[in-house]
Amino acid sequence: MDKAAVKNELVKMLGHEKVLSEDLDLMYYSYDSSFLTKLEPANPTAVVMPRSTEDVAQVMRFAFENDIPVIPRGAGTGETGGCIALRGGIVLDLSTWDEIIEIDASNMQVLVRPGVIHAKLNEELAKFNLFFPPDPGSSQMCTIGGMVANNASGLRAVKYGTTEQYILGLEVVLANGDIITTGGMKAKCIKNVSGLNLTKLMVGSEGVLGVVTRVRLRCWPKPRARGIAMAVFDNLDEAPAAVLDVYQAGILPSGIEILDSSAINAVNSFKPQINLPQAEAILLFEVDGNPPGVEFEGNIIKEVVGKRARTVEWSTEAKRMAELWEGRSITATAAARVKADGSRIFAGEDISVPLSKVADTLRQIRALGDKYGIKVVNYGHIGDGNVHTAPVINPENPDEVEKVLQLVDDIHRLAVELEGTTTGEHGVGAVRRQYAELEHGLAVKYMQGVKDAFDAKGIMNPGKLF
Amino acid sequence: MEFQKLPPVKEQIMKCVRCGKCRSVCPVFEQIRNETAAPRGHVFMVGMLRDGIVEPKQEVYEKLGNCLLCETCSVNCPSGIDIHELNAAARSYIYDKNPSAGKELIFDTMWTRPGFLRTTTMLMGGVQKLGLQTLARNMGLTKILPGDMPKAEKIMTSVPTRSARKQIPKFNRAKGEKKYTVGYFLGCATDLLNPEIAKATVNILTHFGCDVIIPKDMKCCGMPHIANGKMDTARNLMAHNVKIFNSYNLDYIISDCASCSSALAHKNVEFLLGGLKIEDEAFKFSDKVMDLTTFLVEVLDIKLPDKNVTKKTRVTYHDPCHLANAQGIKDAPRELLRRIPEVELVEMPGANTCCGGSGTYSLTHYDLSMKILDKKMDRAMSTGAAKLATCCPSCTMQLKYGTVRSHWDCEVVHPVVLANRSLQQSLVKK
Repeated sequence: MDKAAVKNELVKMLGHEKVLSEDLDLMYYSYDSSFLTKLEPANPTAVVMPRSTEDVAQVMRFAFENDIPVIPRGAGTGETGGCIALRGGIVLDLSTWDEIIEIDASNMQVLVRPGVIHAKLNEELAKFNLFFPPDPGSSQMCTIGGMVANNASGLRAVKYGTTEQYILGLEVVLANGDIITTGGMKAKCIKNVSGLNLTKLMVGSEGVLGVVTRVRLRCWPKPRARGIAMAVFDNLDEAPAAVLDVYQAGILPSGIEILDSSAINAVNSFKPQINLPQAEAILLFEVDGNPPGVEFEGNIIKEVVGKRARTVEWSTEAKRMAELWEGRSITATAAARVKADGSRIFAGEDISVPLSKVADTLRQIRALGDKYGIKVVNYGHIGDGNVHTAPVINPENPDEVEKVLQLVDDIHRLAVELEGTTTGEHGVGAVRRQYAELEHGLAVKYMQGVKDAFDAKGIMNPGKLF
Repeated sequence: MEFQKLPPVKEQIMKCVRCGKCRSVCPVFEQIRNETAAPRGHVFMVGMLRDGIVEPKQEVYEKLGNCLLCETCSVNCPSGIDIHELNAAARSYIYDKNPSAGKELIFDTMWTRPGFLRTTTMLMGGVQKLGLQTLARNMGLTKILPGDMPKAEKIMTSVPTRSARKQIPKFNRAKGEKKYTVGYFLGCATDLLNPEIAKATVNILTHFGCDVIIPKDMKCCGMPHIANGKMDTARNLMAHNVKIFNSYNLDYIISDCASCSSALAHKNVEFLLGGLKIEDEAFKFSDKVMDLTTFLVEVLDIKLPDKNVTKKTRVTYHDPCHLANAQGIKDAPRELLRRIPEVELVEMPGANTCCGGSGTYSLTHYDLSMKILDKKMDRAMSTGAAKLATCCPSCTMQLKYGTVRSHWDCEVVHPVVLANRSLQQSLVKK
């Protein structure tokens, strides 16, 4: 079916207000936050902004009959090209279908449409002293639908885990237009082992199995207090060892972040007033809970980490906590400062390795950067071994682009070699699917079997995940 | 300077990682709700223009033009990109390839000649006074106006019949001991639409020890031109004003208008005149430019006569984007209001979100502008204030129209007018 016919049918089906099909408009859907789409933006055939499950089902039935790819999209903040129409097709822009259908405080859960912004959801939940714990850095921008599709997590995954742990059920429109509810048609219960767990299958499936149109999320009581410890290390190896010490002391912090020397330099050159101490690594431990418990755990962290760190500073005072946290929160932005004409790129940015290999990983990444002559800034969620690597290049210099692509490939392979994975929380999308065989071997065949069962014609988000 | 070589175009586009932070704060995106209105989309499109992938056609201008230039995206951009500058530069590039006779008339012929602009505006005031605007509206004649003007002409509520310049002399002597000589950059909108602000400004400045000079030959600050793709004209206006003001021996150059002071500030002067021959002279000028409320609070540190006020008036303050975002000035206007004995300052939620006026935006994108305005008015009304203070004539016009739309009996007023009222009342009592 040609482009004009697709447009006409969609408009006939949904009206002009829900469809974009002018060439110029489509260009705005050719990118996400990935380096891939900086190099190769790809336009969809049309964009639809659904406002009901039936809208989505209609589009799916039409696409199924006509073999047209369909690509679900949230806020386009992903770093993997996961929401890009690499082979044309209809992009479903779900990012502004953002209704909070029901906050069921008495059952500690909330029912939402996929476009609800993470931060806004937590603003609303806070009114009931509740929160949805996974905490991505893109909280102000990313949607719940995107978090479900990528099984996103973030700074507090070390204690609270990832999105999948909070999904009680989903409404999903499948490739042929069927609408299913996972987790039980009517179920609102917390414990549920009835049937095959399709919810867990859908979470993290990156839109290759269906379109999530409604999400029932479990919420937790909002902690009443927080405290932060900043520990400064002269020896990088001591940092993961200190993390282990804290765990062994019976403490599970809500966040443990690392900045290595490259990140410390980047932060200091971006905002000299922050003035982070020069060191091989800085760790930030955050604990949350009730005030006496926070104070108690803070004291233990100070004592335990103090044996390995040059200094440890502990604070529960809001202003000081914000100051201590500021270095970490600006690292992603500050990274670009390590090179005069540089820009931080999102590629090879999300590997995850065992805690015991974090220090080795950071050293090897640094060595790879030196090998290719590319500055790399490292930081991340050390508590769960999730390292964020920020290569800084001039993306308009073809030589640097070529080198950085080799570097990124090496980093991905390094992660697998060190018994880790190419992605801890950002997803596979189009940029890491080439490592599927390397990571999963024969399992990929069975992944494809699952995909075929849900999407016989292969129209759901083709070219992604594996 | 060639579009592709302009510093923001050359240096900043590549820094955008499309994180989407700008999307989450943009008031236009909040209304349009698709990616074509996202500021990062504008950055992307400017890149496409720069690289010649997209032709500089009017349809691209329409996309980029659907932006308030409120700078909310720029101040929130984690990568520090001046998104508004990229947008303005691209508008100008496209406009140069697609000139329009209407815009030439308005922005080159009228808006570069203060006398001509004044006469036209005063005529408009006359038309309103005679009831001809209402007559034309009733007869359907306003429908023949271009673009959204048939709807938007309602925003232009009342045009005074005498401009500020007709009422205030060029030289105004300090009362008492002289502290500073200030040049008063009397912007077009204050001059023609809000002369009471100009009178209050001069009264307050002279009362607190300033000689105030209003140069006769000054012209528009160029902000409307930047917003409408007339960057060359804006450059010429800026160069003209630099020469005029630099010919006086001034300690400060003061503006009551957020847009003017932002247009004349160092950052924008660098954007327009950076790298040109006049650069040094221009920086000498811009380094003296200061927003009126900042000058009153931080330099003059004015104290209004104390008095026993039994019942204070609740006043809420709206941050103009060109003050809060473009210049980071949020405290000074509030502090000035706090120093007025009759005022009880109450904060509205989202005081620093745009009102949707943005100079000519409300005239070109009426429906969207009204949606943004209605949200702002809901927030302002929630304070129960009797007065809505702001420091920008464009915001003032928009908010005044907002009070009409929402049937809210509330005066929209510049803080300096309230300060001057308080002062004058104290002087009369003496």
